[in-house]
Amino acid sequence: MTKRRMFLRMITASLLRRRSRMLIALLSIGIGATILAGLVTIYVDVPRQMGAQFRSFGANMLVLSDGEEGMTKDQMDKALESIPTDQLVGAAPYRYIRVDMTTRQQSFTAAGTDFAQITRTSPYFSVEGRYPEKSREILVGKEIAETIGIREGSGMELTWQPTAGNTEGDPSKDRQPGAVLSGSAEGWSGGAVYVTVKLDDSAKIASLTIDAGTQTPEIGGLAQTDEAFTRQFIGKALPMTLGEDVDALSGATVTSTAVVEALNTARNTQSTAAAKTMKYTVTGILTTGGEEESYVFMGLEDMAGLTGSDAVDVAELSVSASAEELEAYAEQITENADGVRARLVKRVTRSETAVLGKLQSLVFLVTAVVLILTMICVSTTMMAVVSERRREIGLRKALGASDGSIRAEFLGEGMFLGLLGGVLGAILGFVFAQIVSVNVFGSSITFQPLLLPAAVLVSMGVAALSCLQPIKRAVAIDPAIVLKDE
Amino acid sequence: MSLLELKNVSKIYGDLKALDNVNVHVDKGEWVAIMGPSGSGKSTMMNIIGCMDKPTLGEVLLDGVDIAKESSKKLTDIRRDKIGLIFQQFHMVNYLTAVENVMVSQYYHSMPDEQEALEALGRVGLRERAHHLPSQLSGGEQQRVCVARALINHPELILADEPTGNLDEANENIVLDLFAQLHAEGTTLIVVTHDPEVAEAAQRTIVLEHGKVAREVINENFEEQQKKWLARLIPGSKR
Ligand SMILES: Nc1ncnc2c1ncn2[C@@H]1O[C@H](COP(=O)(O)OP(=O)(O)O)[C@@H](O)[C@H]1O
Ligand SMILES: [Mg+2]
Repeated sequence: MTKRRMFLRMITASLLRRRSRMLIALLSIGIGATILAGLVTIYVDVPRQMGAQFRSFGANMLVLSDGEEGMTKDQMDKALESIPTDQLVGAAPYRYIRVDMTTRQQSFTAAGTDFAQITRTSPYFSVEGRYPEKSREILVGKEIAETIGIREGSGMELTWQPTAGNTEGDPSKDRQPGAVLSGSAEGWSGGAVYVTVKLDDSAKIASLTIDAGTQTPEIGGLAQTDEAFTRQFIGKALPMTLGEDVDALSGATVTSTAVVEALNTARNTQSTAAAKTMKYTVTGILTTGGEEESYVFMGLEDMAGLTGSDAVDVAELSVSASAEELEAYAEQITENADGVRARLVKRVTRSETAVLGKLQSLVFLVTAVVLILTMICVSTTMMAVVSERRREIGLRKALGASDGSIRAEFLGEGMFLGLLGGVLGAILGFVFAQIVSVNVFGSSITFQPLLLPAAVLVSMGVAALSCLQPIKRAVAIDPAIVLKDE
Repeated sequence: MSLLELKNVSKIYGDLKALDNVNVHVDKGEWVAIMGPSGSGKSTMMNIIGCMDKPTLGEVLLDGVDIAKESSKKLTDIRRDKIGLIFQQFHMVNYLTAVENVMVSQYYHSMPDEQEALEALGRVGLRERAHHLPSQLSGGEQQRVCVARALINHPELILADEPTGNLDEANENIVLDLFAQLHAEGTTLIVVTHDPEVAEAAQRTIVLEHGKVAREVINENFEEQQKKWLARLIPGSKR
């Protein structure tokens, strides 16, 4: 028999045949390891768990079109390729237009979207009734529903009036002889300036009306009435340049620029799609607590049917990922996808990171406390074991055991306890974490295969550390104790 | 040839002289008994000879080495290599079986050898009880295991402090038979005892009183006794 086998035989005999005391030590290591393994499992899993929770607060990334034209379905799909499918919770496209409800002389924002995606990106949307399922079904925001007295099941007639902003293609195509063009542009402090021109037989400006009612009356507002200003446009061709073809109204460069821009982008209202009116059925009233309550929502197909285009303005993405990952994805999208860019909803991502950090440091703190408590408990037990075994230790020394042998034996017993406790802890800890996860987060976790070796290593380390003081005591025992009469 | 020599050895605790200028000489192969009333310093002397304590004054030569001057690590080595100890209280590792207890001594000395340990138990008549725990053995049986443990590494010197103090007559005789055998094999024996019968089995008795050697008694009948014993033992019946 080798020395090592005798060593193991002594250690296992000590643990197996002197059950009571060692069981306490094993129990404390086991419980410590259980709590530790459980907490670490939760610690590792918390970002995933909380990530899923956070996703119920709405989108955390936006994909937008670079240009005015909007984003096609292909562009959006290409952008989504940058995000791993298992992290993409949902991606809801939106297209916003103004629609009129002619019967009530009211106009609202209508949003075209994909309702299946909305339930994922904005799970907090609450619908009284149901989401639209078929074509010609719409969802109406609570605010609109209240002001015009609409309920689930009501009919609603909406008109889309194409405007310059809604027209696609090149405005120069519209500058035909005899055409009537109208356009608008943003003037002083965001107010719109509207123009209508009639072209003569050689496609030069024959007459011109300017509506500058939104501008400061005695400055830009004069663009509407100042004959010297309006007269200089007559007989000129489009497009034109301010300062070359025409002069600015004195003191109103912004308004003058807006007039020229409105003229340059003016479209033939007769040649673009005529105003279109459709009848819809309201399937539900939407409550969100936000501005969506003043919108009308319809499917993207209905939106295309109304406007003749299936481009979208923005896609709201809900991605279950860390702040760094999100940033990387956004960059990748902006780089890879053509004509679109992505940005993060900072308000959401920042608070997620903060909450996660706090949760993790809490778990970390509890872990440290448990570690220390376990150490104290094991150390105390081992201390009691040493004093209980004083005579045995004295005897071993009398038989010729060196200090090193005594150390090795107690450390061996401690590590063996750590090994058993660690295995026990890893298994029970996983069960513990599972119970916590199911009860707190409502979802289960997968077993981390690394947990077992990690728990065993940590509890063996803790056991070894806890044994240091008791071992010191053991080594100090005088072998002469065995000769003292009792 | 001299194995052990105590020269002017004193052990002083405060005002108390547990040993007071003791001179003792033991030859290789001798069987010596140490007697004396309680508190006369017998255990103190055993501790010093057993390398578990150091004298306050004096020299202790074991095999020519002055153990009074050695480090405690060196003393452990000497104890392990040269000395077999037997105690009044038996002292076994209570969670190890009889044979494992014997193997513990081998383990610290050199290599555990279960076969050899079983043979040693056979020699003390406990082959059949080798796999019993101390709690399953009688006091006499435990002490015999301790004798087996003390002799397993073939020490030059066996020190026994009141080895029969807790034994009945029958077990006392078994232990004395074993000592006689060990003596016949050339092992040096130093046996502390209260019991005149045990002392009479030895070649020579040193009597301690108040930490001093009061007198020495030579056993005139020793040769004869030993012959009788061996005659009884050699026909080979295990006790
Ligand atoms: N560690 C110690 N400290 C103080 N006094 C001691 C110590 N060990 C022994 N003594 C004393 O020394 C004397 C001799 O003790 P001991 O050698 O045990 O006697 P014996 O074994 O002959 O009964 C006793 O009076 C005892 O009280
Ligand atoms: Mg004594």
